[in-house]
Amino acid sequence: MSEKFFSSPTPENTPCPAANRHRSHWVERFLDGWSVYRKNTIGRIGLTLLGLFALMAAASFIPQWVNPIYHPMTGVDPLISHSTGPSLRHWLGTDYIGRDIFSQLLAGARVAFMVGISSALVSILFGTTIGMVAGYAGRRTDLVLMRLADMIMVMPTLLVVLILSALFGQLNIWVIVLMIALFRWPGVARVIRSQTLSLRHRPFIEAARVSGASHLRIIFRHILPNVMPLALLYMTFRVTSAIIIEAALAFLGFGDPGTVSWGMMLQWVWKTGHMFQAPYWLLPPGICISLITMAFYMTGRAMDDVLDPRLRKEETQA
Amino acid sequence: MGLKRFIFRRLVEIAVIFFVIMTILFVLFRLAPGDPVSRMVDPSMTPEDARLLMETMGLDQPVWTQYLYYLKNAATGNMGISFHYGEPVSHILMNRLPNTILLFTTSIILSALLGVFLGKIAAWKQGERIDTLMTIGALFCHTLFLPWLALIMIWFFAYWVGWFPITGMVSPEVWIDPDAGFLIKALDVLHHMALPLMTLILIHFGSYLLVMRSSMLETLKDDYILTARAKGLDEKTIRDHHAAPNAALPVVTSVGLSLAFSINGGALTETVFTWPGLGRELVFSVSHADYPLAQAAFLLIAIVVLLANLVVDVLYAYLDPRIRY
Repeated sequence: MSEKFFSSPTPENTPCPAANRHRSHWVERFLDGWSVYRKNTIGRIGLTLLGLFALMAAASFIPQWVNPIYHPMTGVDPLISHSTGPSLRHWLGTDYIGRDIFSQLLAGARVAFMVGISSALVSILFGTTIGMVAGYAGRRTDLVLMRLADMIMVMPTLLVVLILSALFGQLNIWVIVLMIALFRWPGVARVIRSQTLSLRHRPFIEAARVSGASHLRIIFRHILPNVMPLALLYMTFRVTSAIIIEAALAFLGFGDPGTVSWGMMLQWVWKTGHMFQAPYWLLPPGICISLITMAFYMTGRAMDDVLDPRLRKEETQA
Repeated sequence: MGLKRFIFRRLVEIAVIFFVIMTILFVLFRLAPGDPVSRMVDPSMTPEDARLLMETMGLDQPVWTQYLYYLKNAATGNMGISFHYGEPVSHILMNRLPNTILLFTTSIILSALLGVFLGKIAAWKQGERIDTLMTIGALFCHTLFLPWLALIMIWFFAYWVGWFPITGMVSPEVWIDPDAGFLIKALDVLHHMALPLMTLILIHFGSYLLVMRSSMLETLKDDYILTARAKGLDEKTIRDHHAAPNAALPVVTSVGLSLAFSINGGALTETVFTWPGLGRELVFSVSHADYPLAQAAFLLIAIVVLLANLVVDVLYAYLDPRIRY
């Protein structure tokens, strides 16, 4: 990441470019980024897809409100006792006990957003804080924190959560979210740390230190605003990995039995032996997981282009 | 020699990390609700057998002594007896280890090679239709949900077209047959391996392709490529012998970084295809509350990931003469 984006054009003249900024600067900066983002085809596709999934999540309350037989978890159609194909009554058919697949699909979108965003928020919180502290404090603190990060980074998250669910029984969805977050911060911490390292000796930080600001104040008032865009970028990637891990966990049968996620739907179709007979049941959840992953990934890549002025220049030249 | 010292230092680091992981696992097994003894000794054992097992594992001792016993037993490979199989855990896992390594290494090497090869072409034809196609294809494959792709592969290639067996690693009739030579047996395993391998390659090659493409684009701007052009070398030589080897280095790094991801994927693939490997054994043992097996399988997988990381690092040092440790 070049310095250009993170500070005003002449950082030497303004004592603290980010912290003392008026709010309209943030709006301006956002609009500036948005105008670049808008030109990015991949980013536009990604955002459109995300919008569609958000609509699905919002619409997930409608089916059970129309008729309780459409409830994704408890709604059983009294006329149907086995998996049936798409019909007017059930747009995507029903599962093995007559629950509506379409309403399950909508509910899955809600769970995916919930899991992905909350888990990403927590891991970004951890990663950013730890990265800033490690980069700012340096020396032994840095060494210990980064070794810890290295250690967690080599651990396969899915298998770790598996072992934990073996020991502690069925995990609640929020415990799963927290577990994923606790194992996914190291990558963020590494990036934020290197960004902090490049900020640490910049004049505005030294000015703050000389004028008596405490370490905490420097970290959270002066460094944080400058690493924020990078943290946001990494959030999109963490959302994807959280959604995938939760889905894989549910697929293996270790999800929260009280939620209907897309991974859970795939587990039902697999475990009840319907995968060869019921493509209307096998295809939708898998397509949704893959598409939402792709949508977040595309959004992230487009944001990366916005944050990297070097690429932006090339783009305008080409 | 710098490399030897580097490997030694990394081995020490791996030992430390492994020690920490073991300790955390030990603590977790004692923190979890329920009786810790019932987690290592099969409740259905006869009292005499159970007492004998408890003595060898030190489970009748205070926690600190238990910890020392645990370390000693782990070092000597005595990790208890599986509830489900009734056999020593180490036997079962040593049986599974080669299968996992076979699938894991073949899939990583092949997907990295494919990624490098296609990424090279995509970068060379930057902006042309083939580049766009490859980039979109890579992005698409990279974001597919692995277990679902595995199910689709089985549905299509094994059930619908019927080219490959649906599950397993060997066909029993081939292995019972005394006339079957090594070649036939190897072909049988390959036949079973094709689908899981294809699934893993499809999932993994995309990210390597994208890394290779952007790294190759950077490399092509370097001065020595200009020099090669000025010398009048033909385009293919420049692409394959000057640009590609240097551009491939970040792919090696990316292989190292995605190892944990690959082993996750390996476990999922093994489970869906019932490939008798470590990952499937871990999933199986967790769903059957077979604690000794789950613990040992997890530790063994951790060792595999750590050592694979070391191999990638050494490979990197070997490939890049500028890096000397």
